[in-house]
Amino acid sequence: MKRILQRSWLIFIVVIAFLIGMGYLVAETVFNASDWVDKPYNGHASGAGGLLDAGEITDRNGTVLAKTVDKERVYNEDEAVRRALLHVVGDNSLNISTAVQSQFRSHLTGYSFIWGMDMPKSFRDGRDVKLTVDAPTCKAAYNALSGYDSGACVVYNYNTGEILCQVSVKSYDPQAPPEITKENESEYEGVYLDNALSSTYTPGSIFKIVTAAAAIENIDDIWERTWDCEGREEIGGSDVTCVGVHGHVNLEEAFGDSCNIVFAELAVELGEDIMNKTAKRMGINASFSISGVPTVKGHYNVKDAETNYLAWSGVGQYDDKVNPMQMAILCGAIAREGKPMIPYLFKGASGSILTDMGISTKGSEGDALMSESTAKSLERLMRYAVVNDYGDDMFGGLTICAKTGTGETLTGSDTDKNDGWMIGYCTDDDVPLAFAAVVRGTDQYGYSTAGQVAKEAMLAAAESLRNSN
Amino acid sequence: MSLIMDIAVVALRVLMPLYAIVIVYQCYASMRRRRRPERPLVLLQNAETGEKIPVLFWENAIGRARGSDISVDDQTVSRNHCVLLRRKEGWFITDTGSKSGTYVNGEPVTERTQVMIDDVITIGSTDFIFRRGEEFHEELRSSWFFSKVVNKPSVQPYKIMILVSLFHVFMGVEATFCDDGKDFDPLILAGVMVAVEWVFFAVSYFALKRVAFEIESLCLFFTGIGVILLARQVLRSAYTQLIAAVIGMIVFCIVVKFIENPDRIGKWRLIIMIAAVGLLAVNLVFGKVTNGSNNWIHIGSITIQPSEFVKIAYIFVGASTLDRLQTKQNLIEFIIFSAVCVGALALMGDFGTALIFFAAFLLVSFTRSGDWKTLILALAGAGFAGFMVLNVKPYVRKRFEAWGHVWEQAQDMAYQQARTLTYIAAGGLFGVGIGNGCLKYLAASESDLVFGLMAEEMGFIIAVTIAVAVATLFIYARSVATRSRSTFYSISSCCAAGMLVVQMSLNVFGATDILPLTGVTFPFISAGGSSIIACWGLLAFIKAADERTYSKRIKERE
Repeated sequence: MKRILQRSWLIFIVVIAFLIGMGYLVAETVFNASDWVDKPYNGHASGAGGLLDAGEITDRNGTVLAKTVDKERVYNEDEAVRRALLHVVGDNSLNISTAVQSQFRSHLTGYSFIWGMDMPKSFRDGRDVKLTVDAPTCKAAYNALSGYDSGACVVYNYNTGEILCQVSVKSYDPQAPPEITKENESEYEGVYLDNALSSTYTPGSIFKIVTAAAAIENIDDIWERTWDCEGREEIGGSDVTCVGVHGHVNLEEAFGDSCNIVFAELAVELGEDIMNKTAKRMGINASFSISGVPTVKGHYNVKDAETNYLAWSGVGQYDDKVNPMQMAILCGAIAREGKPMIPYLFKGASGSILTDMGISTKGSEGDALMSESTAKSLERLMRYAVVNDYGDDMFGGLTICAKTGTGETLTGSDTDKNDGWMIGYCTDDDVPLAFAAVVRGTDQYGYSTAGQVAKEAMLAAAESLRNSN
Repeated sequence: MSLIMDIAVVALRVLMPLYAIVIVYQCYASMRRRRRPERPLVLLQNAETGEKIPVLFWENAIGRARGSDISVDDQTVSRNHCVLLRRKEGWFITDTGSKSGTYVNGEPVTERTQVMIDDVITIGSTDFIFRRGEEFHEELRSSWFFSKVVNKPSVQPYKIMILVSLFHVFMGVEATFCDDGKDFDPLILAGVMVAVEWVFFAVSYFALKRVAFEIESLCLFFTGIGVILLARQVLRSAYTQLIAAVIGMIVFCIVVKFIENPDRIGKWRLIIMIAAVGLLAVNLVFGKVTNGSNNWIHIGSITIQPSEFVKIAYIFVGASTLDRLQTKQNLIEFIIFSAVCVGALALMGDFGTALIFFAAFLLVSFTRSGDWKTLILALAGAGFAGFMVLNVKPYVRKRFEAWGHVWEQAQDMAYQQARTLTYIAAGGLFGVGIGNGCLKYLAASESDLVFGLMAEEMGFIIAVTIAVAVATLFIYARSVATRSRSTFYSISSCCAAGMLVVQMSLNVFGATDILPLTGVTFPFISAGGSSIIACWGLLAFIKAADERTYSKRIKERE
């Protein structure tokens, strides 16, 4: 009998294994239940996409973006606002998975860890949330964007992290969602994707910011150097072409004129290791979490690339890809001496809903994307570009540092379409805003396309900030 | 008004988990009560030195080996010399192949020989006089399970039963007033369940005159939860489940009676083995493939799962009395039988049950032999077999690949697990109320995913409490191991509890993606007739391990 008892310690291994498993399950549940519950198939939320019990969603000024009235989910009365904020707010279909109404549906309808989805009605505190976005700014950006097949505009406060504008096209009216059938599906291609967060575009000349940063940090006499641009130059066996013949230029002039030859040469001179390292440090291949939604990662990798491709990569061609939100963060970092505030979407809420969601209403500081001195040097170049190239009056008196770009997209049928960009920020104390605008489906330059979107959004955002102060 | 209603609902929701914890605690706490203190049953007095050796167990190994229950330091004594055992008729001694032989009053022991008080037992060159236990006056140390509990008044068995029944009635009320409740079916069901519980109690208490009813109360508690959870899912299956549970209780009583005499079982071993193999063979020949495995046979409108019943047979074959263990030490027969069982289950594609049998095999073979080599060899063999299965069976491999990737495969291979997790979260700590869940619409939610169903409708706290309560059966089985009337009961109860716990773990962790989904049932709770009958059958072994089970209740004198 004693022997049997002694040998039965094997039982404790089984029991301990069970307890470890159970402990793990409990921990998993405590930490992740909040994510598990927000699934489109969750049957506890039903009717109007399960949003009937959801609270109000308002913008930063209290303008209602979505609310439930008489067993129906209604959105803002202005169609342009509805379309502008479709990808932020979402609709009844839950097809836009990154939208607030999809991402946090269960929480908006009254989920909490303790009560699950069945909190007694009289115990429910409000489930209303207030977003940081500014409806008029988004509307202005949308109106400027609406003519394009694809594009996005982001404006955020680089000191606090509040997102004032996050608009994506194509869009549709959430109050009257289109019926997407086999016949019209090409017309609505990618409509469920929030391009501001989830799409990448070819950067073109805006990538010269990264190449310039690498050069400033690694070439000692960079400010004394000069180059000669003759419109084209053979690098690594093939030609690199420039948009014009810029002649004898220094770094500032090359950046302002957006000279391809200079930055292609610089990329080759710096080499693949330094270019890869700098791109990585500046967050090109990274993802940022925007109030629980990760941005898509950009792409820059020239390891073992041919010299000609390395040259083109330095001016934002080759297979370079970047994301609008990510570019806005990069500009925010330059404005803030290298360390960006990570943008966020929720300004406040009634009750404990945001705590339940695990969402903060404060911005958090991200890792430094560059050194303080590099940030200052980049500011000098971007300011030079605005003053000497685009003209200061473009932004109605705001002090802007910016860069435009035009990325050639060579994908599939739209070979002659370009991604036009303008990214930058305002240095005025009362308008601490960084922006990124991108549009596709044009053969013009970024300045005249995305530039107009950025201008409309920045003017509206500046007005909103100045009015509220 | 609605505020008052809400407060009432909330109060009920919060109290139910607490209530469940109290029931589980009371069941286990009373298992420790009404135990005899650690006192020797009889004594062996060394004739030469006068030293008194207490005999503590019903079956005692005597020998030179240090692990023996009575260790004799004498070079002429064999390592496992003989076994001194107690039966209904008195005390007996059996020589287990010693070199120098065992003698009672000078007569050599060839077969089991009865010993009387003051008889002289000669083991090797040492003489012992067989004495009464009362002549031992020293204090003995009790294990934690039996210490300090002797004088505590125990909760009357009927009081625990009232607790359990009330819980089921509350569940019935909750299910009656669920969101889409329009009839009183759940309340009637709960009433029938409670009636069954009390009939079982009456039979046990008055007809069979059993002292204790704790372990039955605990498992009635589980069974009732399983039955009433079905009330708002498919009422018909709730009654099927209830009928199966009644059959299970009858099987429980039969098995307890059948194993009353541990020596008799030896004669039945071969027959049981053949019957078990036959059952598996019938299954293999006539089984129909359902959900990737053909572990079902259909007889008319009834479907049964023979492998469930083989579990009971398996324990019969695996366990053994101490004298038989010492004379017949090799495990070959048992290993072959295990291999046939596991192999047949693998052929059926029922890998979850195969895994349960394998765990039981490890437990039995190690407690019997104490042999590390067998343990490691078996584990290595199982690892290899598992690897082969992954290569040969694409269905199993796909399930294995879905493991840990629930959210990527939420519409595909991990469909069930993803929904289980979502609805566990939706249930919160206190549940959405019986009948208000969404998981109930999913196939297999009442069996493979029943942990999720419990968590969603009754709350995470109750679900975890029930799982822990099942696991505690294992600890209980080990704690009473030395108090069993034979090693047959010690081994069989540990093995039965082991099967239940491993099965429960596979069910809970499979549904929640901590392990790959194997599709086994949650003991006592999952819907499934064969499963619940087998669970009650297995419980009989745990019940039999308690020495009080076979002592008739004497009228209380207080």
